[in-house]
Amino acid sequence: MNMAERFWWLLTIFAVGWYLTVTIYVAIRGALDIRQMLARLESQQSHDE
Amino acid sequence: MTHFSFWIDGPIVGVYLLVTMTAGIFVRKYVGKVEHFLVAGREMDVFLGIASLAATEFGIVTCMYTAEAGYKYGFSGATPGICQALAMLVTGTTGFCIRPLRDSGVLTIPELLDRRFGPQVRWAAGLVIVLGGLLNMGVFLRIGGEFLVLVCGLNSSTFPLEWMMTLLLVMVTVYTILGGMLSVLVTDFLQFVVMSVGLLVVTILVLTNIGWDKLAATVAERHGPGGFNPFVHPELGWSYVLFQALVTTAAVLTWQTSIARVLAAKDTVTGQRIYTRTSFFFVCRFLIPGLWGIAALAVLSGEQTPNNPLYAMPTFLSQFVPVGVMGLLVAAMLAADMSTDSSYMLTWGSVIYNDLLAPWHRDRWSESAGLACNRFIVAAIGLFLLGYGLWYPLKGNVWDYLAVTGTIYLSSISTLLIACCYWPRANNWGAFAAIAAGAVIPSAFLVLEQLSVTSPLAKQVGPYYSGIAAYVAAALAMVVGSLLKVLLKRDKAKEQG
Repeated sequence: MNMAERFWWLLTIFAVGWYLTVTIYVAIRGALDIRQMLARLESQQSHDE
Repeated sequence: MTHFSFWIDGPIVGVYLLVTMTAGIFVRKYVGKVEHFLVAGREMDVFLGIASLAATEFGIVTCMYTAEAGYKYGFSGATPGICQALAMLVTGTTGFCIRPLRDSGVLTIPELLDRRFGPQVRWAAGLVIVLGGLLNMGVFLRIGGEFLVLVCGLNSSTFPLEWMMTLLLVMVTVYTILGGMLSVLVTDFLQFVVMSVGLLVVTILVLTNIGWDKLAATVAERHGPGGFNPFVHPELGWSYVLFQALVTTAAVLTWQTSIARVLAAKDTVTGQRIYTRTSFFFVCRFLIPGLWGIAALAVLSGEQTPNNPLYAMPTFLSQFVPVGVMGLLVAAMLAADMSTDSSYMLTWGSVIYNDLLAPWHRDRWSESAGLACNRFIVAAIGLFLLGYGLWYPLKGNVWDYLAVTGTIYLSSISTLLIACCYWPRANNWGAFAAIAAGAVIPSAFLVLEQLSVTSPLAKQVGPYYSGIAAYVAAALAMVVGSLLKVLLKRDKAKEQG
């Protein structure tokens, strides 16, 4: 395996690992973000009324 | 023969569509103001921002052109992803341009330009943004439809491409019209999860079933050293790398769909974090479908290979992905496409409302009239996309087309934004000159490419040199135009004094 091929191999492995981790983490934390965002908007709406 | 099973994969796709539509329509009740519709009331936090940015910037069209690049150029085809990731990391870390932009509290970039260069520049900037953005987006639907037809093996007489495109667009338009950015964010989140699972499962299948050694050997055999290094690839070279660096940096700074995430963030630090933490996704965005394109090159036999390299990846997937996983793949690609379409319609619509129509509605329209106008604009963009997507004959690489049409505004607006934020001597003369210079070169290239008499000339110049010329011309025009105004004013003052 030459240097250029090794570079792409490492980048591919890292990309798949990073993407897998981020997907799981963002799936959990993103759901919490949505809940908080909708709660803030709801309280703003009731405050405006 | 495709592996898509109507009875096994069909329900997976159906459930995904039902959940997305329900979620998208559910949040419409939170939309009471134009600010809710355009920037979700600026209530978005980091992780929702990451999901939304990643989902928006990955559509079927992305998957198709990055796979095409992998098929045609090997691993070198993933170069734009590395350039974009670096640009986004640096921008997010330093806050270059995006910090003053978010701090200003504007809804769009032209609104910030108005404060520095005046309302005429705002209007002209809005026009090139909409022109470049809509031309860019015009090819999304057809390519998305072509992917689905190939992967699912749909009979074109029973399921015409046009009907597939129309159905997809109607669904996206309905929830975007009702919920605006709120619907876009919530559906983006669901779409990010479905899309990512699909991308990862198929990539792991490719790596385990075909293997790295076969992929690398295929690239070495078909492309030689150029398949691993863009600088030595005979069709790419330094002009390709430089053009990609310019396009991706300008896109990070000014692409309205990316910037909309910074503007919708709850504060400036959150906006910067969204950029920093999403940056590496842009490597995945080019590399993962690029691997699928390389896999198509390695696996498809001569008679299976389609004439157009754009169709190699979907042809390969239709025969490679097993039943059951195929449903996940189609749901993932639908998710990718719907998140992109909804976000693009909303953000280009926001520029039309906030900047092009500003002279008519400024401080005069009620919130409900503003909301109705925004909804009408989104519907009108949907109709335009349907028409343009049907009749525009695409020539050359999809990515080259997107980069050239994007350059119509990226070259000038990035110059204007940098000058607006960091060059005190910049003025409206320079701004107008930059907009004109940045738009003329790529527009001329597109026209020359379409005319049979001039297409050989366009081919000789190529998209990379014409693109680089647009960025250089826009920057020079800004400097020359601004200094000219300063000098002329000084002379006039001397004469009067």
